[in-house]
Amino acid sequence: MAILSVDNLSKNYGPIKALKNVSFSVPAGTVYGILGPNGSGKTTLLGIVMDVLKASGGGYTLFDEAPTAHHRKQIGTLLETPNFYHYLSAVENLKIAAAIKGRGAEDIDRVLQIVNLAHRKTSKFSTYSLGMKQRLAIGAALLGNPEVLVFDEPTNGLDPVGIAEIRELIKKLSQSGKTIIMASHLLDEVEKVCTHVAILKQGTLITDGNVDEILVNEDVVELNAADLQQLKQVMQQMPGQTRVDLSDKFVQAFFPSGAADLAAVNQFCFSKGVVLSQLQLRKKSLESKFFELTN
Amino acid sequence: MLNLLKIEWLKIKNYRAFIVISIFVVLGVVTTNYIVYSVNKNIIGNMNTGGLVSKFSLYDFDHTWQTTSYATGFLLILPALLIIILVTNEFTFKTNRQNIIDGWSREEFIQVKLAMALIIAVISTILVFLTALLFALFSDSSFALTGISHVGYFFLKALSYNLLAVLVSVWIRRTGFAIGLYFIYLGAENIISQLLDVWSIKLRSDGVADLGSMGDYLPMNASDGLLTFPDNAIKSIAKSSLPTDYTWIVVSLTIIYIILFYWLSRRRIITTDL
Repeated sequence: MAILSVDNLSKNYGPIKALKNVSFSVPAGTVYGILGPNGSGKTTLLGIVMDVLKASGGGYTLFDEAPTAHHRKQIGTLLETPNFYHYLSAVENLKIAAAIKGRGAEDIDRVLQIVNLAHRKTSKFSTYSLGMKQRLAIGAALLGNPEVLVFDEPTNGLDPVGIAEIRELIKKLSQSGKTIIMASHLLDEVEKVCTHVAILKQGTLITDGNVDEILVNEDVVELNAADLQQLKQVMQQMPGQTRVDLSDKFVQAFFPSGAADLAAVNQFCFSKGVVLSQLQLRKKSLESKFFELTN
Repeated sequence: MLNLLKIEWLKIKNYRAFIVISIFVVLGVVTTNYIVYSVNKNIIGNMNTGGLVSKFSLYDFDHTWQTTSYATGFLLILPALLIIILVTNEFTFKTNRQNIIDGWSREEFIQVKLAMALIIAVISTILVFLTALLFALFSDSSFALTGISHVGYFFLKALSYNLLAVLVSVWIRRTGFAIGLYFIYLGAENIISQLLDVWSIKLRSDGVADLGSMGDYLPMNASDGLLTFPDNAIKSIAKSSLPTDYTWIVVSLTIIYIILFYWLSRRRIITTDL
């Protein structure tokens, strides 16, 4: 079953196209990351799915059905900012959220424990720090222990300890079989917790699928020899490489993460009659992968 | 709907502005009417009017429903102010989004706000009824429901004021601007209304046409025009030169405007980005 299926979704703000024909599907039980730089349309996408924004074109389904308010009651969502009544306490705010979701108030203490706010539960929301507000919003999403969670930038405003706690929480939730859809511009965050990822850039879906396939770490071997053309041809025959690029100063050979063996490369080239003048291993960082995908 | 209203109650029961404005309204209704009562009794009552102005008690059972409805009508901006604050708060705190995200439909979100506007109008009307009754009980007259229709007109006026407050709030969204626009609109409409009234009088005196007081056909002046101060002798004489009083047109227009405010508010929330 697909928890969420997005079909050709578009959204225009006047002349600005915030989303351009985006389609993807979130299978049940996955931790699905929506990755993209600021302004790439992540929040717009989730806003449409939650019916707070109107799509300019296309559609979506929730639980393989036409979306209704009833479906949203079964999804715990944190969208963009923590939205609470400033003049009410955490408990009073959560009572409202629980009542709207059609659940009792008995779950409130449990979620406040999870997000470490039990000691401040009667304080007014307006007295909370940014990180506490964020944690309360995550707590509100957990109310009623929903099977599906949507987190938009869940670690916004949190300190390093808080960030680690939320990551652990997301992993734990995922292990208990819940489906989590998470938007983030933090690559490292997505890599650490997500099983699937969709990458957005300026409203266009660049790629989507299994995180290991898309955000794959590669080993890059930089080589140099007198005849670069010949070197390139030789390297293309080498078993194990995934791709060979030629630039004006050197040849780059790509290997799966951890699979590049420099000694083997050296021997292979020599056996083919190419003497290397340079041989160097560079780890390709996730960051450069992200830049590559989004630039 | 009862469940939605319970949730709405959770939002406001501990809200200080709600409590303060509610107290102001209750005190204001009693105080305003007491001032009118006292001025009529102690000043007009002791004046030597040479028999030109017929003296009567504004708060005996023959007049109390009309007097109280008219005098209290001026306080209706207070509940309207409360409604603007409550509705624009949702936009300020972005809780309008959160309510939808948590599982309300857009329809439920706006219907409960419109229902609040109705309930506040009903409560205001009950307050007027009780105040009118209270003051009349202290007069020496015997119970009568003469002019009770004015309490009904008061309800229409309260509903108009409250629904306009919802409409302005869902269109403007910012508390300060919404309150400002609401008052500017009321003022501007009053000025236009008075110009239209002068024109109506001229049309009638020139023998061109008698279209009634046209100023009363504007959205907020329609419900204002339904409530009038009880007639005294001078006013009765002046009346002969005023345009005909088409109460039925004004009542119909008031109801049409109420439906329009309702429809526009709902449409705004259903169709736009929140």
